[in-house]
Amino acid sequence: MKFRKEKEEFNEGGIVLFKEVSHAIRGEKVVRGKGYEVKLVAPPPELRMGCDLALEINLVEQAGIERLLKNTKTPYVKVVPVKKETSELLEIVLITDFGEWIMAKAGNMKLTFAKESRRIVNISGGGCPDIPYLHAQLVGKTLAEAPRPRELGYTLCAMMLDRAFVRCLNI
Amino acid sequence: MNVLIFPRLHVPKISQRLDRNILHGGKDIMLIAGTLPEGKMPLTIGEVSLTDTLLAAGGRTFGCTQGTGTMITAALTVTGYFGLKPPHVIVAGDMGDGKGTKEIYQHLPELIDKIKPRVLVLHYCLPVMAFLKRLCTSVRNLPDKPFMIADAGAMYAAKAAGLASDFDIFTPDPSEMAFLADPLATHPAYVSKHLFSGNIEEVPAQIAAAFMNKAAAKLLLVKGKIDHIAVSGKVLAIINSPDIPHLEPIGGTGDTITGLVSALIYAGLDPAHAAIIAAKTNRTAGLFALPTPATTAVQIIEQFPLVLGQYWQEWTSNQLIATLTAR
Repeated sequence: MKFRKEKEEFNEGGIVLFKEVSHAIRGEKVVRGKGYEVKLVAPPPELRMGCDLALEINLVEQAGIERLLKNTKTPYVKVVPVKKETSELLEIVLITDFGEWIMAKAGNMKLTFAKESRRIVNISGGGCPDIPYLHAQLVGKTLAEAPRPRELGYTLCAMMLDRAFVRCLNI
Repeated sequence: MNVLIFPRLHVPKISQRLDRNILHGGKDIMLIAGTLPEGKMPLTIGEVSLTDTLLAAGGRTFGCTQGTGTMITAALTVTGYFGLKPPHVIVAGDMGDGKGTKEIYQHLPELIDKIKPRVLVLHYCLPVMAFLKRLCTSVRNLPDKPFMIADAGAMYAAKAAGLASDFDIFTPDPSEMAFLADPLATHPAYVSKHLFSGNIEEVPAQIAAAFMNKAAAKLLLVKGKIDHIAVSGKVLAIINSPDIPHLEPIGGTGDTITGLVSALIYAGLDPAHAAIIAAKTNRTAGLFALPTPATTAVQIIEQFPLVLGQYWQEWTSNQLIATLTAR
């Protein structure tokens, strides 16, 4: 079992919780194998979910890491911020009616579609590098034919865009 | 009437057209760092130019329609209008996996030491706190520290890493302002619900909170339905006209403001003045473009020369500042 040296700084804000040690070790191998910077740590007692090993990650990379764990059938419990008092992932989606268009805003991300054609006309907000790519993949497509942002994106910005997208599907 | 003067900047006020000779000779550089949504694009460094619909630097071309490409295009349009040296860029492809971000931030300290930019703009990137820590540590050791502007992922990382006060300007939108105001959030997706109300009246309190928590740059340009310009936690000016609601859903209209304010700082305006004129230029360009929610940011940028040509003289008069800062 290999651990990073304690004195190496990491602390990029997120932690993946596991039920069993074997899952944590497998998770570390899978995620590190794809080039992510991660670190096996002991989870804070209040976050412990079954085993004494967790995976510290860059919280911003949550979307890509969760997708990777699911695709490789690596069991995990959930991803949470390291700081216990941090709020939950924003669930609120605000809707603005622009007459012929509807804009859905989730966190820092906004998706706008034309009511009649249900075609996505714009995506705005965010600062993570997958957002300009998602803009190119989604704008011009109808809500029915556009891919889910969470399937293409890697970051929390992509997760927020996905929330806005799902809300639009239900309008 | 108060206009804040930042002591580090000793540059003259500029008028309609700049005389290049009044700047600092040929070595005066603005450097922009950011990722591009072109996965195979290697690390690229060089002076940037625009040909038709593509930007070019370091022997390569890349798009101008999204993210950092949009911000570069906005800055380049303004430097071109005033006859200034075009920006230098350090860019790399990154689809969200962080590879391009890593390359940029590995090379950035050395590049800054070599070309000694007067203005440094950090934009789209994977927000990795460790990268910002290393960069800020190396910049602090420089005899002539560049004027530092951050937006997008770089701003997220700077705040999360406790480095906001190393920066001269941040350009958040209202949701990002809520993130700066929340001391526990390391990304806007984890902002406390009570801060995410979308209520524009709460922005001044959020500005004050961010400053108290050392999570604000020296100047904040909060871009939204009402633009707020704040220094040291206090709102100096608000800009609410022209009011163009359709600008909000257009991707890139925040990036255009960042490009505008960066270029105006580079041109020699004091930061508060630059921020006010950037906000007014962006809105007025929006008015001229007759936008719908389907309009592109490039269509807004195309209006910049017309706007500057019509309004520059009026906006650089002391009367504008007096009107906006009167209490």
